[in-house]
Amino acid sequence: MRLILLFAIFVVLGLAFESAGARIVSVRALIPNLIIILVVDLGLRHHGVLPAILAFAMGYATDAIAGSHPGLNAFMMTAVFLVSYEISTRLMVTSAGVGATVVFFAVIATALGTVAIANGFNSLSGTGPMLPGLTLQAFITAIIAPIIFSMLALSKRLTGLPDGSGRDSRGRER
Amino acid sequence: MKSTFLWRNRVLLAGGILLILSLHLISTGVHPGDLAAAPESAFLEVISPVTGAFTHLSDGSSSIVRDYVDLLHVRDENAQLRNELARVKSDQARLAELEVENQHLGELLELRDALGSKAVAANVIGSDATGISRTLVLSSGTDDGLRPGMAVLANQGVVGKIIAVSPNASRVLMIDDHNSALDGFDQRTRARGIVAGLVDDGVILKYADRSQDIRAGDTIVTSGLDGIFPRGLLVGTIQSVHREGPGLFLGVKITPAVDFRQLEQVLILTQPPPILDDQATKD
Repeated sequence: MRLILLFAIFVVLGLAFESAGARIVSVRALIPNLIIILVVDLGLRHHGVLPAILAFAMGYATDAIAGSHPGLNAFMMTAVFLVSYEISTRLMVTSAGVGATVVFFAVIATALGTVAIANGFNSLSGTGPMLPGLTLQAFITAIIAPIIFSMLALSKRLTGLPDGSGRDSRGRER
Repeated sequence: MKSTFLWRNRVLLAGGILLILSLHLISTGVHPGDLAAAPESAFLEVISPVTGAFTHLSDGSSSIVRDYVDLLHVRDENAQLRNELARVKSDQARLAELEVENQHLGELLELRDALGSKAVAANVIGSDATGISRTLVLSSGTDDGLRPGMAVLANQGVVGKIIAVSPNASRVLMIDDHNSALDGFDQRTRARGIVAGLVDDGVILKYADRSQDIRAGDTIVTSGLDGIFPRGLLVGTIQSVHREGPGLFLGVKITPAVDFRQLEQVLILTQPPPILDDQATKD
């Protein structure tokens, strides 16, 4: 329950920041994708069915305030969660650097995936002009990801939640 | 229990089910009144006040920064005078903002009177959170009579249509979104086409017949055939026309009449326009 509440607060603040920021900052690429950072944190550090449902819910919440196809962001966020989860189960250490790298590629992959699913895979050929801005946004999101991870870790400690990798000292899933 | 296949792969299985559920939502869509529309509406309702607060906060922050820069130049003045100056400047900025808002609302009222249709004004409080789509968040919802599919206008021209509503907020799909399409025609030649957005920003007129004499600078207006926008509303002007290469249609780029980044207030038509037939656009 505490995990749900914590992430709900972060999601509401993150989406409000992104939506309001997009109106104020003229270059959209400068606004980081905060929801992806939260989903990657879930995938890397919380292994279970509830975090998977949380990732889906975070995507669906994003659908409420972004995009034109309900379910599209829910799909993307669930996919990002599963990829992050798979990565974390194959690595010994899931540091902030690993998280930032996953975030970087997740921002680009979700944007291109969104375009491909909404408009068909043929539309990917028209995404060339999008890529510089998308790469910049992915870079900025990756840069601030460790800060958000730290904020999440601190919040989890304050609320008494485990902030580990979801595995015990022998690498087994809890 | 923990050694069974299902337990060991529970995360992947749950994720797979959620992916299938997402695909189901994408393919079937979410309609007002659906079970799936309730959480979306609730999320919008929760997030929109926070978004509005962030927007106000950022406006206030920029005002504070401006005031601080001004105060650096008057160091010799005492604290009381500086506070007074800041207060006066803040009031002045607020009044100027109110004046601009009043002017926008006045223009929207004129537009509503000119259209002769029932309409409500709403404030723009946010933009698309992901940036992949071109959507806006408005401060009005079902409590103000808004419904999905209603036309959204600015005093410069067409903005888009409402795609989602909650009691106190709504979302608008703008005409420059890659999923948007509206029926329009060239005011000079009466050549028809579909005004659509592009993935990489920009608006085009699709399916414009190659034999038509469409030129840069021509005005594109709504045809009224889509049942959403009244006929004759300004969409934009033609930026360029490409006739090179094979194909049945022209490549027509449009500069939208509305500067979507500058939108602060919009007008939503709560009454659908009269349904026209194809012949009406030729008159």
